[in-house]
Amino acid sequence: MDEQTALLKTQLYAACEEACSGDPDRLFTQEDLTALDVIPPKDIKKLLQLIQILTNERLFAPVHLHSGLAWRLRPEAEAAKYKQLTSHDQVLVYEIIDAAGAEGAWQQDIKRRLNVQDNALRKALKELEAKRLVAQFTTVENISKKMWIKANIKPSSRATGGPWYTDQFLDEAFIEALQSVVMSFIKNRGSYLSKGERSARSVSPVLPKKGVINGAASEAAVKSKKRTADAISKDEALVMPAAKHRKTIRLPLPAGYIEYPTTEEITAGIQAAEVAKGQPLKQEHVQELIDVLVWDNRVEEIRMGNRIGYRAVRIAKQNPSLYSKPGDDDFWEPRSNGLTSVPCGKCPVFDLCEEGGPVWAGGCEYFDQWLA
Amino acid sequence: MLVTRNAADLCALLVNELYGQLPSVCFSPASPPVAALLARGRSNVRDLALHTSLNPKQVRHGLALVIQHNLVFYQTDHETATTTYEANPQASYHLVRVGKILDVIDRKYGTMAKNLVNDLLMLGHVEVAELVRYHRLKHSPKKAKMNGEQNHDHDHNAEFEDEDENGLEYGDPSDPFDDDSHYVNGNGIAHETTEDVTPIQANEVYDTLAQLIAAGVIESVVATMFQSPQDLKASVEQECMKEFPNGVRGAKVTTEFDTMVKSQIKAIGVERATMKRKLQESALYEPSNIKRRKLANGGMSNGFAGDSGGSILRDEPNTVVRLNFDKCLVELRNQKLTEHVEDFVGETTAQVFAALLASLCKKVYRCQHDQHTIMTEEEEETYFTGVRVTSEEIFDHLSPGVDVSTGIGSASEEDIDIRFAEKIRKYPPQIQGSHLQGTLDEGDEVLGSDDEDYDHSGEHLKGTYVNGHNGYHNSAAQNGTKLGGDHSGEGHSSRAEQLRQMRQHLLILAEAKQQFVRHCGQNEWTVDFGPLIQQLRYVELDTMIEDNFGRQGLRLTRILREKGKLDDKTLPAMALMRKPDVHVKMAEMEMAGFLEVQEVPRDNNRAANRTMFFWFFDEARTLKRVLDNAYKSMVRCLERLEVERYNKRNVLLTADRKDVQGKEEEKLRGDIYNEYLEFIEVEKKLLSQVSRLDDLVSVFQDF
Ligand code: SF4
Repeated sequence: MDEQTALLKTQLYAACEEACSGDPDRLFTQEDLTALDVIPPKDIKKLLQLIQILTNERLFAPVHLHSGLAWRLRPEAEAAKYKQLTSHDQVLVYEIIDAAGAEGAWQQDIKRRLNVQDNALRKALKELEAKRLVAQFTTVENISKKMWIKANIKPSSRATGGPWYTDQFLDEAFIEALQSVVMSFIKNRGSYLSKGERSARSVSPVLPKKGVINGAASEAAVKSKKRTADAISKDEALVMPAAKHRKTIRLPLPAGYIEYPTTEEITAGIQAAEVAKGQPLKQEHVQELIDVLVWDNRVEEIRMGNRIGYRAVRIAKQNPSLYSKPGDDDFWEPRSNGLTSVPCGKCPVFDLCEEGGPVWAGGCEYFDQWLA
Repeated sequence: MLVTRNAADLCALLVNELYGQLPSVCFSPASPPVAALLARGRSNVRDLALHTSLNPKQVRHGLALVIQHNLVFYQTDHETATTTYEANPQASYHLVRVGKILDVIDRKYGTMAKNLVNDLLMLGHVEVAELVRYHRLKHSPKKAKMNGEQNHDHDHNAEFEDEDENGLEYGDPSDPFDDDSHYVNGNGIAHETTEDVTPIQANEVYDTLAQLIAAGVIESVVATMFQSPQDLKASVEQECMKEFPNGVRGAKVTTEFDTMVKSQIKAIGVERATMKRKLQESALYEPSNIKRRKLANGGMSNGFAGDSGGSILRDEPNTVVRLNFDKCLVELRNQKLTEHVEDFVGETTAQVFAALLASLCKKVYRCQHDQHTIMTEEEEETYFTGVRVTSEEIFDHLSPGVDVSTGIGSASEEDIDIRFAEKIRKYPPQIQGSHLQGTLDEGDEVLGSDDEDYDHSGEHLKGTYVNGHNGYHNSAAQNGTKLGGDHSGEGHSSRAEQLRQMRQHLLILAEAKQQFVRHCGQNEWTVDFGPLIQQLRYVELDTMIEDNFGRQGLRLTRILREKGKLDDKTLPAMALMRKPDVHVKMAEMEMAGFLEVQEVPRDNNRAANRTMFFWFFDEARTLKRVLDNAYKSMVRCLERLEVERYNKRNVLLTADRKDVQGKEEEKLRGDIYNEYLEFIEVEKKLLSQVSRLDDLVSVFQDF
């Protein structure tokens, strides 16, 4: 390598460094390199020669794209690490792990790509580990996989699972706690708390009153065997749980309300409440929490022009208190219907049950219990 | 109606439950023919006798009974002179709803109307004059009845007399009309002393009847109603064929033929609606009048003056009438929707919604229609263009006891954007398969929701309110939305003010995710029943899923419903759940039939660990399955009831004795009385479950 070439090489590397200072992962194609104005245009031969040298010195890492070859810059400190490698196997293995970056490389994958013996691979990895160049880690996506990563970087959030994972395990308690914070925030900002001095009065005059059961005297006479037509519905009163007297309830806000909390505001609220340990939760993570609450049928989206806010569903039936663990007592009156209340709706032998079959309605113990 | 084996069993059981004979007779001739027809399809009397172990005479007797109630269609072939019978499963199934129907009628049209409907259920189709006579006989005070009993000649009157009485005597315990109406309790033992009550006037009965016919709850019967709609169409086509001796060939002739068939069918529709039209034209049946009368007299059945529909009916005493289940179903749907609004929004809003439905559904006579439904021009119009009502019309239907100033929280005026609240949506939302989420929002984007497209009348009303009422002009927080549940009311506010408050409830309904109401024009409102019911189906499904598989099960299903097929990696990440937990839940739900799974092997040897699993939600299949499960559960409840009855037969036989009936407590021995009470409890529980299961069936299929 003559002096001029050495100079050009340094210049080219410096120019690249500058060009990708904003984005360290930037890729350079041959045209990009020409455009840097270091090599006289048209001197393709020189350019290729320089690329070759830089690649050999590990300062350029080749990347195969659909459109052809491109190169990524490797910092000098990283490139220097290759000098510590003592065997060909080590170099090949390290190249793969280096290229995998924060995602890490699966041992099985390395083996397949290099087509080496298991022993040789393990030996190389052990040597690299001893040199503190690579480290083993586990990914939450599959904890049984042996994964390798460069020793000086941290696994990606996909591998660690982001804020939801603590030591590769989904931190359900943490998620639950955050969910209830989000829920209470949405409830508080998107409803009106009525202390209910008046609500008792608004009991509907037209809807049938639930839970009204008539005195025993007339009941006894209501029916003997075959019932009249209207008997069937009278009994409905019985199933409905007696409407609990609620003094405090939450009321819906008027239509057109534009202050339902948005994801941004909820994120800010969580940050202010300092519930999240460690680094502050990002908006995308809060969105994940909200999405789950939407799927759980606890909150719903509401459009306010171009913005999307969130509010609680069935607001009047929501537990009026702000702090409740998700799951218990979200609603003071859970929804139910025919198939949730009749024993057959949950019967494990439903498909087998028929008259004359192994189980049937007359001798059914689920009914026995339910009617008792 | 989807007739599965379970549905057929259910229909047979229901017919037996309501129209079977007295329990002391060991078989009932009504239900075997129905069961056989359901199982075997169209048959004649001989076939039926073969398959029911009844003799032809009994079969005929049974058929006569069920035809009386329109549970069976028949068709006579004039060439061979044979008559074939075909089950009408929908009508048989309707029997499960009679209790609810009576409640709704009672609430909406009053006690006399309820009793009339009940009489019709007992009698089947009947001439107007006969119905009125029967009604006066049965519901008049005891004394009148005693006298009348002798000349009682109708065949099934005697049969149903006994069962009927008990049901009526005590009415509906929660029925507000019970206490101030003579007719219900007048018949009862408790009030036996009040013998000086005036007997029911025929005029009143005729008037109530006329009102019910005008509303469509009761319809006049014409011969074509005994044919199944398919048969009817076929015979109309045959008739028309005669006009085309050269056969129907070629585009032009085919169109001619089709037009002819169509107009004939229209004519049938018009024929069916003749009486209704006549009565509707007498303005007395405008609902606003009814309301006024109701207010004035405190009860519907108290007479009112004027030349009325009653006299029109009187002139045609031979008109045959029957209950129109289609219209009853509309009333039941209204009630169900109101309950849902109560659940999703709140009580006061539900009342406003009920008023909206009441005024909207004056012209709606059925929930669903298919190519066989026979409609008049007017009906078709309401179906294809939809109906809409104004705020004022809704207000007129609002029950006077409702305090529209309650039920909505207050917010300061600057937090409300009236352009969003008053947004007008001209077109109904689209149903896009199972992807309900977002469709509503996308819908209105497509339809160009420029900001100007909102109803300014709200602003206007608010303006007058702020300026006009000098009571509140001082505080900004108070005036904008003075609907706060906590503000104590100022007694009677003006009509304009109440109207404004009622509109707020309508706006909330329009804004709700479920879109209960569509604000379809300046001060105009409508309900898109199709999409709304569709959403209720999901609500019921979700209720079941959450109850069976918990909140996380619900979460997973809803993710799949929204995203379509997902593999077992993406799903846990989205649901923020551990993978093994997800697998367990999914397996559970798949076993129960709420989810489907698809296996995609990654390579040829199909090893389990090299296979990807995709889960998805098959809406149509799930709905079908749930529907059939509901039928089956109803059958089980009724079967259980039979068994309970059989176990307690001794007690029940004693209680059924003429001298004991109605005085069980004093006549029965203590232990027997307790056993009797126990049975009543069990029966109540079971029947109420049947009724709740029917609610599900209605939502999934009939509404
Ligand atoms: S009757 Fe009993 S055994 Fe049969 S499905 Fe119902 S609960 Fe299950």
